[in-house]
Amino acid sequence: MPEPLLYGKAMIAAALASAACTLILLGRRRPQSAARCNLAGALGMGFGLTLGYYFLNVRPAWPPATGLDRFLVVVLPFVLGIESLGGAPLAPPWLARLLRISLCAAIGSILLHNSVYVSGTRREWSRAEAVLTLTVCGVMLAVLWMLVIRLSRRSPGVSLPLTLAMSIQTAGAVIMLGGYLQGGAAAFPLTAALVAIGLVLWRCGELSRAPSFLSVGVVGLFSLLFIGRYFGNLSTISALAILLAPLLSWVTESPWFRRQKPWVFETLRFAVTATPLVIVLIFAKLEFDRKLGPLLL
Amino acid sequence: MRNYVLGIALAWFIGANVASSRAADEYTYDAVHSSVSFKARHLDISWIHGRFNVVEGKFSLDREDPTQSKFELTIQADSIDTANAARDEHLRQPDYFDTKQFPTIEFKSTSVKPIEGGYEVTGNFAMHGKTKKITFPLMGGKEIEFKGTKRVGFSTELSLLRSDFGFDKNNIGLIGDEARILIDCEGMRK
Repeated sequence: MPEPLLYGKAMIAAALASAACTLILLGRRRPQSAARCNLAGALGMGFGLTLGYYFLNVRPAWPPATGLDRFLVVVLPFVLGIESLGGAPLAPPWLARLLRISLCAAIGSILLHNSVYVSGTRREWSRAEAVLTLTVCGVMLAVLWMLVIRLSRRSPGVSLPLTLAMSIQTAGAVIMLGGYLQGGAAAFPLTAALVAIGLVLWRCGELSRAPSFLSVGVVGLFSLLFIGRYFGNLSTISALAILLAPLLSWVTESPWFRRQKPWVFETLRFAVTATPLVIVLIFAKLEFDRKLGPLLL
Repeated sequence: MRNYVLGIALAWFIGANVASSRAADEYTYDAVHSSVSFKARHLDISWIHGRFNVVEGKFSLDREDPTQSKFELTIQADSIDTANAARDEHLRQPDYFDTKQFPTIEFKSTSVKPIEGGYEVTGNFAMHGKTKKITFPLMGGKEIEFKGTKRVGFSTELSLLRSDFGFDKNNIGLIGDEARILIDCEGMRK
């Protein structure tokens, strides 16, 4: 059964820890260097997520046995490491870029490791199907990641982390409504940390210099949807709609939107992204009422 | 002299193998006349029943030395059937059996002891990515011949705690932690 109190505690812990960590690492000087801002964002996410998942009672197994375990124990630390490295002053930019591409290439295989799709005597995918599916998924993540980061540099605003957080939370809710509670609940700390760091950086005027926390959000969104699609009951259409929703923020880059007042622009950007998410959520709720609802009566 | 010793050793080796193959009878699991079912508490007031529809297995019964007998069973976890398609779909998800990650439930015996009316079987039970050693009484073992096929039947009932096998603790509540598994199976050989 869903435990709202537990989810609330996990969200508050993740938000407070990530905001405090980011604020401390940012220091008092303004403007701060891009490297420092990126490091603060990445480490803030790491600290917030660690505490958030602790309060959520998520204890991944070692060695990781499930898709969710591998997301928490392999994928998240890897992306946090890449983004922290990307923020280090002495690290060459090509190294972080290379590691990001490697993660995009490997993430599908990591999350599906030892599952019926890619191993065992009764594997569901042929070798060609597996290569094709994992390549398409890797390319989708790479494109999404690149476009979100490019947008955050071109048109920074608090609406971007908020729309990404909204997509992650919708992914969690839809996965839960499909019957995979633990997978959906994993979205709560991620959403809370992303919103908290976004607001801290926005208030400090450093949002445009710290895309690292958005990278963690993008990889988190992709991973949750991937796990929900291949281990849970999430449909491909819903997964794609949620994954691509943050890219609708690019629509607001057209001249008409750019001419609006800043608060109108931010609200419109938020509304454009929210529309497909609300539709997916409504369909997921209807499906829940039809299939799983009667089991709880 | 050397050839003589080698000859005796070879004869002993062949004899021993023939003797052992004679003693152990190999049976395959008869899916038509067998069932693996289970029940679990619902809200602690009643029981929900279900079964697994795809099961494979083999037994090796040594009548002369029962401790050499072996039992193996492989259950396809996604063949779960609780007479409610939506619930079955839910049970296949990662909060429960996680059948995409752990497609089979397996038992392999490690020791067998004869007891009154059957055997006491100890072995490794692997479910949901965790393996635990379990011991249970396996009653039966009587062989009959029907239309040229030799058949042997066994029955057992065992109790497992889902929490011992890594099932999500947050989902233990509505459906109780304890699951009772009932196995009635026939093995057959020509």
